[in-house]
Amino acid sequence: MCSHGKEKNIYRPIEAEVLDVITESTTIKTLKLKPKEEIAFETGQFIELTVPGVGEAPFTPSSRPAVRDTMDVTIMKVGKVTDVVHQLKKGDIVGLRGPYGEGYPLDTFKDREVLVFGGGVGLAPLRSLMFALFDRINDFKKVYFRYGAKTPEDIIYKDLVKEWSGRSDLDFRITVDKGDDNWKGHVGLVTTILDDMKLDFSTAIAVVCGPPIMMKFGTFKLLEMGFKDSNIYLSMEKNMSCGLGKCGHCRIGTYYACKDGPVFTYDKIKGFHDIWK
Amino acid sequence: MKYITLENLSKLLEELKKDYRVFTPVKKGDQRFYKEYTELADVVIGEVRPFEPLKAFFARAREVVAEGFDPKVPHEDDKPFAIVGVKACDLKGFKVQDHVFMDHDYRDPFYAKLREENLIISADCTCAIDTCFCTAVGIEPYPTEDFDINLSEMEGGFLAEIGSEKGQAIVERYPSLFQEGTEQLVSRRDKSREEVAKAVAENIRENSVPDQSKFKGIIEKNFDSDIWSDEAKTCVECGACTIICPTCHCFFLYDQKDEEKMNRLRIWDSCMLKHYARVAGGENPRAELWMRLRNRFEKKFDFFPKVADIYACTGCGRCVSACPAKIDIRKVLKRLVDNV
Repeated sequence: MCSHGKEKNIYRPIEAEVLDVITESTTIKTLKLKPKEEIAFETGQFIELTVPGVGEAPFTPSSRPAVRDTMDVTIMKVGKVTDVVHQLKKGDIVGLRGPYGEGYPLDTFKDREVLVFGGGVGLAPLRSLMFALFDRINDFKKVYFRYGAKTPEDIIYKDLVKEWSGRSDLDFRITVDKGDDNWKGHVGLVTTILDDMKLDFSTAIAVVCGPPIMMKFGTFKLLEMGFKDSNIYLSMEKNMSCGLGKCGHCRIGTYYACKDGPVFTYDKIKGFHDIWK
Repeated sequence: MKYITLENLSKLLEELKKDYRVFTPVKKGDQRFYKEYTELADVVIGEVRPFEPLKAFFARAREVVAEGFDPKVPHEDDKPFAIVGVKACDLKGFKVQDHVFMDHDYRDPFYAKLREENLIISADCTCAIDTCFCTAVGIEPYPTEDFDINLSEMEGGFLAEIGSEKGQAIVERYPSLFQEGTEQLVSRRDKSREEVAKAVAENIRENSVPDQSKFKGIIEKNFDSDIWSDEAKTCVECGACTIICPTCHCFFLYDQKDEEKMNRLRIWDSCMLKHYARVAGGENPRAELWMRLRNRFEKKFDFFPKVADIYACTGCGRCVSACPAKIDIRKVLKRLVDNV
């Protein structure tokens, strides 16, 4: 056994400064963070964000993985830690651990059609994926973006989404469940904007991230369309606490979401009970 | 094989205090509890497992695991433990705990240090209590591995088997305290071991505890069974069954800030508690108590055999005695096996 004296403390967060806070909606903010030690992540991996003295919670960075010195994290206000996160200001100090888990295996997406399929705040981790795909867009046969939110107000990264809508190298469609007076786009559940897609389903990749109900019915829809279960990548939301496969909380069947996921292809988890809960 | 007299053992434990915090089982009422060693008078080396699981010496029930952003590993300079009278059921717990904490991707620095530095002086069980069922889950009531020195109680002393280099070093360091163990003593030891194993087998027969050879698929096949809700009826969600279990490893990380500094603490957690699997926003995949009871069995009898090739039960019977609701793992296993 190697000497414990040089053993790394896997529970210790790295200090990070809040460089900026961007309000995305009434319940969602993006923090731009600068860790004191470089934290390089692959798209799809997650980090544990510490608010000193309050606690830790898992988030998938929403920024471009190629940017190494800063990291964006987009956070919805839903609980104890995120309530305090929303009060953070420029110059505040937080902590970061990670990255943890397995990222999206972009190399295996090469020469294939890639569908990025998101719902609501699920766009946050997909934003990082989109940046990573754009960085090597010619590697893929074609990239499709399909996204749905409850209302136009719930669409996050509005400026960015608008910018993407104009890209010639991206097949782009979004929808809302319920429009408003200013909404000119499609209205309907997110699964309805998949209807007319004609892809080579023997090889096409689908990456799904959204609320549990959208993940469930989205997956069923993709299977019905002809996607192979081994080509459907799902971001599973579990109570990831330690990030190290030790504390036990995020088990899915024989896996831990923190270590073996949080992204799983559907074939790996479809045999387990209650995966959508 | 070595032999050590009772008197020399007390000398050895006294010597070990220089390098270790020495803990030995002490009898109080019907129970045995680990207590920091002072004198041999009230110590029970043999008998059966103490009340507390061995894991408490390797990951404390509550400990600071990080101090602010300081990369230093806390407790690095703490004296290691010498734990005396450890029983075979607790040693089996290492198979699970090592799998979790010594995992090569993320070695736990606290566990790894203690696993390396703690000294284990184990002992044969010299009797069985009615909750013992170790032989049904693949172990014998005497240590066969994962010890530094193992003691088998004899009149006036102990046969001492060396189980590791660390154990060898101890014997070499204090040669005057050990004698050679004779063939005759070894055969006497084997005879007592057989008798204890027989007593455990009798327990298993009386309580109709199924053998682990029948465990395959019992969770999967009973996943939707009523057994879970029926067994969970009396559960009061105290978490004692998991806290007291030598294989249960789950923990909870939380942060605390006092005036001076902030600390990250780790405390033992229990999958039986309501908010264990709850995610931010309030969704709870195991909202009902019976789902959590099922999860406890799933982890032990489906997850660990699949990921680590081991049933995460050591037959120590602690959860049977600890449960205020009299939920009995042996009876649950019997129901599961019978219902396949």
